[in-house]
Amino acid sequence: MSNAPENPPPPGRSWRNIRQEVQPVAMSRRGRRRRQLAWLKAGVLLTLAAAGGWGVHLAVHAWGHDRAALATAVHSDPVREVVLITDGVLTRAWVTAALALPRPSSLMALDLPTLRNRLLAHGQVRVAVLTRKFPDTLVVTLQERTPVARVQAADGAGQPRQLLVARDGVVYDGVSYDRQMVAGLPWLDGIRLVRTAAGFEPVAGMEDVSALLTTAQLQAPHLYREWLIVSLTRLAAADEIVVRSQGGMEAVFSRRRDYFKQLAQLDYVIDRTRETPAAPALLSVNLALDGQVPIRVQEEAPDRAPGVGPGFSHSNSQRKAKRDL
Amino acid sequence: MISNSSRIVAAVEIGTGKIAVLVGAITRGRSLNIVGVGVAPSRGVMKGEVIDYKAACEATHHALEMAEKRAGARIEEVWLAQTGGHLDGFYNEASVNVKSADNTVTALDIASVCALAKEKELPPGRSRIHEIRRPFRLDGRAVPDPEHLSGRRLEVGYWIVHGPESKVSDNIHVVGGYHLEVRELVLASLGSGALLTTADERAQGALVIDIGKGVTDYVLYRDGHVLVTGTLPVAGDHLTNDLSIGLRVTPAQAEMIKLRHGRGVVVTRDKADKVWLNGDASFGDRQLPKLAIETIAAARVGELLEVVRQKLGPAFSPEHCGAGVVLTGGTAKLPGIEEAATRVFGLPARRGEAPSWVKDELKDPMFSTVLGVFQFGLRTAHEHALPPRRKTGLLSNLTRIFAST
Repeated sequence: MSNAPENPPPPGRSWRNIRQEVQPVAMSRRGRRRRQLAWLKAGVLLTLAAAGGWGVHLAVHAWGHDRAALATAVHSDPVREVVLITDGVLTRAWVTAALALPRPSSLMALDLPTLRNRLLAHGQVRVAVLTRKFPDTLVVTLQERTPVARVQAADGAGQPRQLLVARDGVVYDGVSYDRQMVAGLPWLDGIRLVRTAAGFEPVAGMEDVSALLTTAQLQAPHLYREWLIVSLTRLAAADEIVVRSQGGMEAVFSRRRDYFKQLAQLDYVIDRTRETPAAPALLSVNLALDGQVPIRVQEEAPDRAPGVGPGFSHSNSQRKAKRDL
Repeated sequence: MISNSSRIVAAVEIGTGKIAVLVGAITRGRSLNIVGVGVAPSRGVMKGEVIDYKAACEATHHALEMAEKRAGARIEEVWLAQTGGHLDGFYNEASVNVKSADNTVTALDIASVCALAKEKELPPGRSRIHEIRRPFRLDGRAVPDPEHLSGRRLEVGYWIVHGPESKVSDNIHVVGGYHLEVRELVLASLGSGALLTTADERAQGALVIDIGKGVTDYVLYRDGHVLVTGTLPVAGDHLTNDLSIGLRVTPAQAEMIKLRHGRGVVVTRDKADKVWLNGDASFGDRQLPKLAIETIAAARVGELLEVVRQKLGPAFSPEHCGAGVVLTGGTAKLPGIEEAATRVFGLPARRGEAPSWVKDELKDPMFSTVLGVFQFGLRTAHEHALPPRRKTGLLSNLTRIFAST
C-alpha cells in the first residue's frame, strides 16, 4: 500500500494490446471467403460512391457550362423515323399527322404524354403507348376501337355526317376503314347524340347492342346481312332492341334473354313462314317474350317466287348492299 | 427482426467439448435479441487451450458460419469467453490519503486509488484479462461510491485475472481467422455466474461452479461482488478417463457409461447389480458392476469439488455463502452431483437454471456461458467505451465497412 502519486503509472499489458490481425495463410477457407466478400462489398460501395461523385461532377459541370444539356439529360439525335404498331387500320401517315411533331425535334426532348393525348383525342384510338428507341426512332403502339354500328349526325355547318359507334359507345369519325365494311354496318336509331368539347358523349346501352350484333354476325350471318336499322328507342324503357331489315320486317329482341336463342327463334319463324303455302310476308316478330313469339304477317302475299322468305333475300351469296340513308 | 440501429454481436465459447456461438442484436447498448445459434463439436482444443490451430479454426468457423446463416446477418464483433488452466488471478489493493482540506473524497482520489490498485506488474509474457473491483473502503467502512463522502483514508482492491499472452492470443486469433475482431474477453465463470445467479443471491454470497468437459470454472461472490475466480484443468474428461481405466473399457464406452449410469454419489448397495456395457447384444458386450461405476464417478466428482474448495482457501466460508452452490456445465447434469456438492461445501447446492427470459431451446447448460457472456458484457460494456449506436447513412456505412475490412 502506498500513497497516490501525481501521475499513476499505466497498468500492465492488457489483452487489448494483443494484435488481432491474422495473416491470410493462417485464415481458414471460410475466413478467407468472408474477407473476400467484405472486400467485394467495400469495392462495390466504393465504385458506387465514385460513380455518384462523377455524376455530381458532371451535373455541376453542365450547370456551369451548358444548362440546356441538363434538361435533355441524355444526348440524343433528332427523330428520323416514326414506327407504328397497331391492331387496326390506322396508317403511319395518319399517326405522323396526328402527332404533329415539331421539326427538328430531339428524341429526348419529346413530350410523350402530350403526344399521347393528341392520339387519344381521336376516338378511334383506344390505347396509345409511345416509346423512345434510341438513337432516333419513336415507336407508337396503338390499340384501336372497332365499329359495330354507324350513326348520322349534323356537322357544324348542318351538313349530314356519318359517324361510327364502337362497342363501348364511343362515337367517332372512322379513318382508313374499308368502305364496304362500313356500308355493311347497321344504322343506329332512337338515340340522341350529346355534343362535348372533344366530340360526343358515348351512346348508352351499346354493350347490349354490340352483343346482339356480334352474335348475329357470327351465328346467323344470313340474317345480319339484311339488318338495316337498329333502334334503341325502347331499350331504356322496355329493355328491347328493335331491328328493321331491308324487307321491312321488324324484329324485337330483349336484352334480358339469350341473344343466340332469340336469333334461333327468328330463323325458325322465317323458315316456317317461308314453307307455308301462302308464304305471307312477315311484318314483325316479337322475340322479347318468354314462351311465345307473336308475329304479324301481311294479309296478301306479294307476287314472288315460291320458297322465297318474306323480307329476306333468297340466297346467302347474293348479298344486297345496305342502303345509305 | 434486426433493426438498422442494432449491433450484431456474437458470443463465442471455444470449449474442449463443443464450440458454442450465439448471435445477438444489441439495440441501444442494452436490449439483446438472440437471432442465431451455432454449435459444433470442438477440435484442436484441450483443457481450454488451443493445441491445433487449424482444427480449432475449422470447428470454430463452422459454428460461426452456422450462426451467421441462421441469424441472416453479418457478425460485426465477437465477445469471447475465456477459460483454461492457464488463467490465474490475484488480489491487489491500495490506499490513499484523501487530499482535500475538508477530507471530502474527490474523483481524483478515486482515480488515484484505482490506478494504484491495478498497477501491480505481471510476470513477463502475461496479459490482463479482467480487473474486477471490490467495494471501496473509506476509513474502514465499505461504501459503493465514496465521492463527496468525508474520510481520511480511501482503500480499494482489485481481483486481477491474467493469463499467458501466447495462449490468450491463440484464442483471439482463432476468431480473427474468420475475419472478425474480439471486442470483449469475458471469463467463462463470470459469464455463467452472471446468468445463473440473481443480484440478491450474489449479495447473500454464492459459489458458481461450471464443470465442463476439459476444465472447471468457478466464481465466488460475496456482498454482491466477485471475490475469487478460478479455473481447474480437471473436469468431465477425467471422470471418463477414470471409468475407462477402472472398468477397462475404451474412452468412448466409458463416456457412454458415464452418461447412462454415472452419479455424483453412490446409491447402489447391491454388489450383484450389474449393467450391460453396450446393451445391444453385440460381440464383446459384457456386464459391469453398477456399484463400481458409481463409486468411481462419485470419487472423482468428490475429489474435483474438494480441489475447488481447496483452491478457494480461506476466501470460502459457508456463513458468507448464503445462496449456496450453483452447478452448471455438461458434467453438472450428472445425477446426484448436487448432493456431492452439499457434502463437500456444507451448503445447499442446486443445478443452475437459466432465467425466464431465455428461450426454451437455449436453456441447456451448454449455452450458459455464452448467454452469460452477453449478460456480463452488456453490464460492463460501458467500462470499455464501446462505440456508440450505429449511425445510418451512406457515409457512416462506408466508414464502418472500411473499418471492418
